[in-house]
Amino acid sequence: MLEVKNVDVSYGDIQALWDVSLTARDEEIVALIGANGAGKTTVLKTITGVLKPTKGSVTLYGIRSDTIPAHKVVDLGVSMVPEGRRLFRDMTVLENLEIGGYTDRARGAKSENLRWISGVFPILEQRLHQLAGTLSGGEQQMLAIARSLMSDPKTLLVDELSLGLAPLIVKNIYKTLKEINTARKMTVVVVEQNVRLALEIGDRAYILENGRIAGEGKGSDLLNSEQVKKAYLAMK
Amino acid sequence: MLHFAQIFSYGLISGALYGLVALGLSLVFGVMNYLIVAHGALIMMAAYITFWAFVYLKIDPFLFIVIVTPAFFVIGWILFKILFQSLMSFSEGEKIKNSLLISFGLLLVFSNMATLFWTADERAISTAYTGKVFDLFGVRLPYIGLGGVALAIIVIIALHLFLTRTYFGKAIRAVSLDHEAATLMGINVNRVCLVAFSLGFALAGIPGILTALHAFNPTVSFELTNKALIVLILAGFGSIKGVLIGGFLLGAIEAVGVYVMGTPYREVFGLILFVLFLMFRPQGLAGKKA
Repeated sequence: MLEVKNVDVSYGDIQALWDVSLTARDEEIVALIGANGAGKTTVLKTITGVLKPTKGSVTLYGIRSDTIPAHKVVDLGVSMVPEGRRLFRDMTVLENLEIGGYTDRARGAKSENLRWISGVFPILEQRLHQLAGTLSGGEQQMLAIARSLMSDPKTLLVDELSLGLAPLIVKNIYKTLKEINTARKMTVVVVEQNVRLALEIGDRAYILENGRIAGEGKGSDLLNSEQVKKAYLAMK
Repeated sequence: MLHFAQIFSYGLISGALYGLVALGLSLVFGVMNYLIVAHGALIMMAAYITFWAFVYLKIDPFLFIVIVTPAFFVIGWILFKILFQSLMSFSEGEKIKNSLLISFGLLLVFSNMATLFWTADERAISTAYTGKVFDLFGVRLPYIGLGGVALAIIVIIALHLFLTRTYFGKAIRAVSLDHEAATLMGINVNRVCLVAFSLGFALAGIPGILTALHAFNPTVSFELTNKALIVLILAGFGSIKGVLIGGFLLGAIEAVGVYVMGTPYREVFGLILFVLFLMFRPQGLAGKKA
């Protein structure tokens, strides 16, 4: 269980989040929607410990993650697929996966995790010794997810998966995420600009507006709510 | 023709040294965007230590590597903690500027300290094998030079294997490509940078012993930093693979230039090459975009 409680976050003097609280229960898919600059990525970065809140707390499986160094948060069972994929472009696909499984715990299960991931993304297995930067956009996104899966997380955070990808590819990758969520009982938190898509895949969703939580509910309910229809789906 | 081959072989021998000289600088720059122009001074210090160890303790310079390399690793570790750790949170450009300033200060301090303690006299170790040559079809190859070439190749291959075959080496490369993504994978970026920085210092020890085998004095620190920066441009910033080739290229061009134009122009050819590369191939030989 992932629990963000009354969190304030600032970039220097500029405050980005105010009193944000959200939870992701085990095996749930939670979507975080909102306009550009609403603070969605900031929320994910706070969960992974890259950003530290000035107020409030982040708890992962009963352990406070906002008080430990960012590189140790992976050990608590959470892994993030960053926006723009952020692959290690000059390293091979295999090396990217190995770095994904860098923690001591993950290293022991390397071959097992590799086998699992080859099953999930068969295309990557054919490309193991190719440089990550030479993959197509869709393959890069798959690799970014696969890299995060190498740490065998209990919670996966996915930031802006659809960015720059063809709709069909996006749909397929989301389908795969859904399968992982079911098969591995993995909690998934997605940040997505494509609101309709996010609400379709998310069991629950939070709406973020100007750094504050402006609403939450079941994905299907929000999809039909007036608030969301007007503000995000351009429907009257 | 034989004369040309002789000149060219000397070029390759100095090229191997240049490659080694640039290696530590390139590693540190590639991983953390610190431009440590004091690198030449570190090599000069290592040369003096090697020299005194030979004079007083009769330790063979090539054997002394096993002492001088770890010693410089420790020195790097300490200097990082005192002077360079605080730059870690700076932006990329600020890191380059500030590390440049600090290390330029170190360069001056080390060079002047060396002059103060050991005078500006020219020194060189003369071992039993100094001046001995290996005759290859009439081309005379000094044993020390051959040792330098072998050392350069061994060290660069060893570093390459370390960076591509071990988890920690891969972590160093991951950090050099993307600090934040590396952190998200559970890599302790501060620790990786500390080790890479210290490793850069350790790599100053090896060209240090080669410098001690030739004639040197405290001003060699500026000359070596100059060579290292030229090789860095030729190789492509942060490229380990390119460093050895860049070193050989610089050595060869210098040697041929000296052959054609005469010794006074020695330094000129490297600098011309430097400018030409900046104009026409700024990404360097390895081709990675800077």
